[in-house]
Amino acid sequence: MSAPVSTRPGRAGRLAAVLPHVVIGAILLIEFFPLYMMLQVAFKDNAAFIDNPWLPAPLADWRWENWWFALNLIGPYVANTVFVAVTGTVCSVALAVLGAYFFARYRLPGSGVLWSLFMVLMLLPGIANLVPLFTLLKELSLLNTLWALIAVGVAGGQVFNLFVLRNFIEDLPKDLFEAAEMDGAGHLQQIRHIVVPMSRSILGTLAIMAFLGKWNEFLLPLVILRDRELFTLGVGLIYLDGEYVKQWGQIMAAYCFAALPLIILFLFTMRLFVKGLSQGAIKG
Amino acid sequence: MKPRLSAAQARREWRLYLFVVPSLVMVATFAYFPAASAIYHSFFEWQGGDAKQFIGLANFQRLLNDAVLWDSFGTVALLILFNLFKMIPAILLAVLIHRLKSERWQYAYRAMLVVPMIVPHLVTLFIWKFFFDPNLGILNRVLDATGGKVLLVWLDQNVFHWQVFFERIPIGWLSQPELILPSLFLWGFPWIGAVGVLIYLAGLQSIGTEVYEAAELDGVGPIGKFFYIELPLILTQVRLNLTLLIISTLQGYGLQLLLLGDAGGPGGRGMTPGLWMYNRAFIAGEFGYACAVGMLLFTVILLLTWINHRLVRVEK
Repeated sequence: MSAPVSTRPGRAGRLAAVLPHVVIGAILLIEFFPLYMMLQVAFKDNAAFIDNPWLPAPLADWRWENWWFALNLIGPYVANTVFVAVTGTVCSVALAVLGAYFFARYRLPGSGVLWSLFMVLMLLPGIANLVPLFTLLKELSLLNTLWALIAVGVAGGQVFNLFVLRNFIEDLPKDLFEAAEMDGAGHLQQIRHIVVPMSRSILGTLAIMAFLGKWNEFLLPLVILRDRELFTLGVGLIYLDGEYVKQWGQIMAAYCFAALPLIILFLFTMRLFVKGLSQGAIKG
Repeated sequence: MKPRLSAAQARREWRLYLFVVPSLVMVATFAYFPAASAIYHSFFEWQGGDAKQFIGLANFQRLLNDAVLWDSFGTVALLILFNLFKMIPAILLAVLIHRLKSERWQYAYRAMLVVPMIVPHLVTLFIWKFFFDPNLGILNRVLDATGGKVLLVWLDQNVFHWQVFFERIPIGWLSQPELILPSLFLWGFPWIGAVGVLIYLAGLQSIGTEVYEAAELDGVGPIGKFFYIELPLILTQVRLNLTLLIISTLQGYGLQLLLLGDAGGPGGRGMTPGLWMYNRAFIAGEFGYACAVGMLLFTVILLLTWINHRLVRVEK
């Protein structure tokens, strides 16, 4: 323990030891509450929910058809979002690795200027851009396409990813690069065999953050997507919320499907994510 | 130090520049161009199509007399205050977890904090909206069951005379103008962001046991430890979060758009400058004016960032 308690082990001492757990536990309960509601309401119809909002319905009354309905409703949106999020994340991180390598390895003439070109964008609030971005996409005839979401997302992620990766690559041991150069490795090979393997955890954390960002995006899709078959989750859920008569069970089941890919993602990357953030891999 | 290449060497290594070109092209197209276009179009009357008319500073003159806009700055100032207050629980929770004896519990709690992140933000948002529902919502049911409603009605009738809470009418958290801002304050209770807590914990980990022991010898209590030992160590992260929070609140409007609609809810009580820009562009079709609103917002944020850079130094 980092903060030793000097009290003698008595009733007060035991209370002091248990109290933090009670407080943390209570907070966690509240944090888990939306998740719990989502899962249990997904098995009810509206009547059952009004009768008994808090506890799960008895197994015999479970409304499995909610899930079937929700899958048909939201499945295509989930598929679109997976496509956008995966493509966007891969491109975003890949471009940032190349760019960060350029900035981290050498100081070339002009690299200072280029660096500030990127960093200035940290100050530029994205909001002022939305309106002209919309017309730009219209002119590029990217309106109502998923590629627009990918492209804008990749551009938006560059600054942060470059910033984090540049610092990281600069801290890698120089001898590795020099040795590789002796062996005649080109820059691309150095990236493939040194940078990528050595920065795996940071790349993973950046990728998860990028993926989450894409997954939660709704403003841009809301403005640029028109066709129902192109909807990503963001727009899909908003339209679902706009229905007049809501079947909460079906809606909650749809929410569960919306969370499913994230559950899969976290199952595989939880340790990495907790570790990466806890070690201060990303400062701020 | 990494090698600096001379012009001659750089010419030989010209291929290196290709590495940065893709990022640069993306950023130039989707960040710089729209920004420039926003500046340009703020001087025009423009419906978003090909037709536009140069009107000089008329859009900016209109800004000065736009009552909705100035009210929205008041609202957003209040929202920033709310959000600053909402930073506190995450800091306290991080300290609480950090002070636990066993490493195993610390890890378990960290992991458990991440689990709710599997619920997409938008879904969390809609579930909260559902909690606020007057008839089916959880909040009203809790208040009914615990007698909180009776208390609120009593306070309303006898003490404060708000004219907001009535015995037989379900509380319309998102439909009564007076309740919009209180609802936005309640939103997200207990206001804990897992990523924030993990980042604070990372900062706290650098405290050695001997620091605590020394403090103990000096008779520093748990509250003293927080202010003398723990808070100073995470101050960098707290400041950084503070800055990001102010900027994102100032330009944010997604929450308001989804909870309250594009007019900022009943009475426009939830209208923020960002939402007003969105509203002008995509509801009213006044793209030129929306660009001017965006420019104003941009200037305000730039000013804040500049002040922040002068006052707060953020280390890499």
